[in-house]
Amino acid sequence: MQSLNTTSAPHSSVVIPHYIFAALSFFILAFLIIISNNSLIGHYFQPKLLAITHVATLGWGTMTIFGALYQLLPVISSSSLFSEKLAKTTFYVFGLGIILLVISFWKFSTGSFFIVSASVVFTAFLLFSTNILLTIQKSPKKDIETISIAISAIWLILTGLLGLLLVINFTYPIFKQSHFLFLTTHAHLGIIGWFLFLIMGASAKLVPMFLISHQLNRKKLHLAFYSVNLSLILFSLNWMIFHIEIVNYIAFVFILVGIISFITYLYESYKKRVRKVLDIGMKHTAVAFIAVILPLILGFISIYKLNFNTTTLLQIIIAYGFTVLLGTISSLILGQTYKTLPFIVWLAKYQKFVGKAKTPLPKEIYSEKILVVQYIVYLIAVIVLTIGILLSSKLTITTGAVFLLVTAILFNINVFKILLHKPKIEIKA
Amino acid sequence: MEEFNEKLKNEGIIYNLLKNVIDPEVGVNIVDMGLVYEIDYAESEKTIHIKMTLSSPGCPLGDVIIQDVKATIAGTYKNFEPIVELVWEPTWSPDMMTKEGKEALGY
Repeated sequence: MQSLNTTSAPHSSVVIPHYIFAALSFFILAFLIIISNNSLIGHYFQPKLLAITHVATLGWGTMTIFGALYQLLPVISSSSLFSEKLAKTTFYVFGLGIILLVISFWKFSTGSFFIVSASVVFTAFLLFSTNILLTIQKSPKKDIETISIAISAIWLILTGLLGLLLVINFTYPIFKQSHFLFLTTHAHLGIIGWFLFLIMGASAKLVPMFLISHQLNRKKLHLAFYSVNLSLILFSLNWMIFHIEIVNYIAFVFILVGIISFITYLYESYKKRVRKVLDIGMKHTAVAFIAVILPLILGFISIYKLNFNTTTLLQIIIAYGFTVLLGTISSLILGQTYKTLPFIVWLAKYQKFVGKAKTPLPKEIYSEKILVVQYIVYLIAVIVLTIGILLSSKLTITTGAVFLLVTAILFNINVFKILLHKPKIEIKA
Repeated sequence: MEEFNEKLKNEGIIYNLLKNVIDPEVGVNIVDMGLVYEIDYAESEKTIHIKMTLSSPGCPLGDVIIQDVKATIAGTYKNFEPIVELVWEPTWSPDMMTKEGKEALGY
């Protein structure tokens, strides 16, 4: 019999703290953007922007992914999680590391505190990746989706290692070349290697499952997997070692081919779907994939510079990072939280009543109205903030950040509504 | 003949009973989704055998749905053992949905 996975899913106490930490981080992120709207104008290498970036990438993005993956990996790999204890330990180590690292960036006083902070985060990456890789190792099926997730865990370790070396370099210079080259590599190991690979692996499995679509052309997934990997290897080696301009062009073509190939796979799934009506969770997901076009354009300009002056280019680079993190990745997380968290809580509270009592559906344990408003306000926030960054307009940035804060508040209300849901059952006659 | 009629009658009742089993993600019952392939009511063995599928292999809610099927049958047929056999042949397709199922999904 095919493996069925609520039995192999970890206990909800392993997963849920990640969602709480992430939802609060999203709120803090919006708040920090409001109080430091200056940071989104000028050079990207400034303490507050680095702190904000790490709240977004670690506290919001990566924390959600850690939690979601502990729940979803058993579904994707047909193998229960290697260790729930290790997952719980990782959460505490990672949570502590994020808080220390963000404080370190915000204050930017180099030295041992900074290095210890980065080391704690790196340790959490090692613990997480060990758990994921050992889970996949005992998995009976190692398809392209599972392999993508394994590879993303390896890229995560490399991202953390380079990040730690960069932090050490602030106090004890170890890089002979400009640290910006390593910073660029660190950022892209994270964006492409960790986030993109993980998203590709998980979405390739989940999107067809949610939309109910079958008989998709899996060659597109293979092409996407190899192209994106090759692109990242080329970019990284070229930035750190070779510095040959043409290699950047080639690497960009590979990533473009990879992303287009992956998007066409998802589009095929969308066209062949049985569930014609998309819920808001899936609309958020669709926005995430459509929004990928923005960082691709902005990234293209950042690499080729075209004829833009330095001031404009710096804004384009910040807008590039912003559209990746708060456009694509955040939209995906905002949507997929509603496709996962209500089920995790629903299973924990209602599984024992299934078939014996009438239970609400998972989607009935949060407010659909709040979700609809959250979706619209989020779209406004991202559009206004992107325009504000590109135009270097403080007022526009603050306005966009207020919309983002409202999004975060609405999101938190629904997340806590789900978490604090009290079971309502009617015993069947 | 009477035994055969009894079997048919009960299989009809079970078919309708299974309309109470709703896929928690999709929000549509498993009968209208076309997931129930066969119902075998065996009076002599005191078993009710359900042959069914899922819309996607490895569905994370698969065992909840099976649990629901068993508990729903056990609630009405207290002296019978419900047996659920999950099969992947024939592969589920949208054509297997009822008119109501298709309408619910906008298909």
